[in-house]
Amino acid sequence: MTARTTAANSGLASCHVCFKLAPTAVHRCPRCGATMHLRKNDSLQRTLALLVTACLLYIPANLYPIMYTEQLGSTEASTIMGGVILLIELGSLPIAMVIFVFSVIVPSGKLMTMFYLVWTVERHSPLGARQRSMMYRITEFIGKWSMVDVFVVSILVALVHLGGLLVIRPGIAALSFAGVVIVTMIAAESFDSRLIWDNIEEKNSEN
Amino acid sequence: MSDALACHSCDLLVHVGTLRHGDSASCPRCGCFLTRYRADAYLRILAFASAGLIFLILANSYPFLSFSSSGLESVITLRETPGALWTNDMPGVALLVTTFIIIIPAAILVLMLVLSIPLNQGLYHPWLAPVAKSIFFAQKWSMVEVFIIGVIVALVKIAAMATVVVGASFWAYAAFAICFTAAVANLDRYQCWQRIEALGAA
Repeated sequence: MTARTTAANSGLASCHVCFKLAPTAVHRCPRCGATMHLRKNDSLQRTLALLVTACLLYIPANLYPIMYTEQLGSTEASTIMGGVILLIELGSLPIAMVIFVFSVIVPSGKLMTMFYLVWTVERHSPLGARQRSMMYRITEFIGKWSMVDVFVVSILVALVHLGGLLVIRPGIAALSFAGVVIVTMIAAESFDSRLIWDNIEEKNSEN
Repeated sequence: MSDALACHSCDLLVHVGTLRHGDSASCPRCGCFLTRYRADAYLRILAFASAGLIFLILANSYPFLSFSSSGLESVITLRETPGALWTNDMPGVALLVTTFIIIIPAAILVLMLVLSIPLNQGLYHPWLAPVAKSIFFAQKWSMVEVFIIGVIVALVKIAAMATVVVGASFWAYAAFAICFTAAVANLDRYQCWQRIEALGAA
């Protein structure tokens, strides 16, 4: 097996802000002044803690209503899934799919992917590193798109207030769902994808 | 060693070499995109960032959306969009939304102008590094394009209930989103820092 040259086994650390390479003994980036680390500090612990937080926030985000529609004195509460079902009933299937993908599939898929990545790195698994790297990049890229539902509520609340006729109010799930999105974004940020590849380096050096 | 770059996804040392205009480099091991060189990158950023700022000002000057049913009408501006959450006991979400869709994108465009003018003219200033650092830090927290999708979804959701009219501000915001995305796409992190370092050494 041919050993590839990484920055770490050349005694170099790459600045996470400006990509400058400097010897691992240097603690402050000579180019941009950021603190240098060989790998992100306590990456797995931080990611795991944030993922657990996101999971806890995810429960109220789905159980409580994300918005209330008050029409002629009667109030109707709708959860995230309720909104999707309502859209299907209204016949707007494409929009229902958009909400379903961004508010249901993406956040839960993101949580599961991140747990899987942390678990495989913890187990020092060398398998499918390229695929796991790809999974991580997709997760990181797609994270902010889950905010769509929060923006929809924000627009509807501002726009729909016609006296006693028709009013839309936000529900507590909007807050917890925004929390889920932000916390998972920070979790993805604190995960160091180079750890996936460090396991392969370990296996190579053992042989 | 000056042209070496450690892949930020897998830590492989990659010798990028000299890239010609339009060339890009990816990591041979994990496939992660590394850098793209464009000779006129800073001129493009300058153009897109200034156009984007003009559109953002326009987006704040006209009605964003209007909604009417049974003779009653409600018109909102862009700033009022998150503002209603504030008055509905959700100041936290209101602040987050304003930050993601207006404050951060506007700050990034202003900082991009401040960065691209000296980089385009080849002038070095000691504040270039902190400005570039702030831009790269703020980038992932801008949700301009997500907000556009949010507006479209909201429109479809209430189109059945009443008449919804899209105002001039919405189109200005859409144009702003395009300019913003183009400006960000032209700012390459590796090339930008190489340029700052080269100017600093000269």
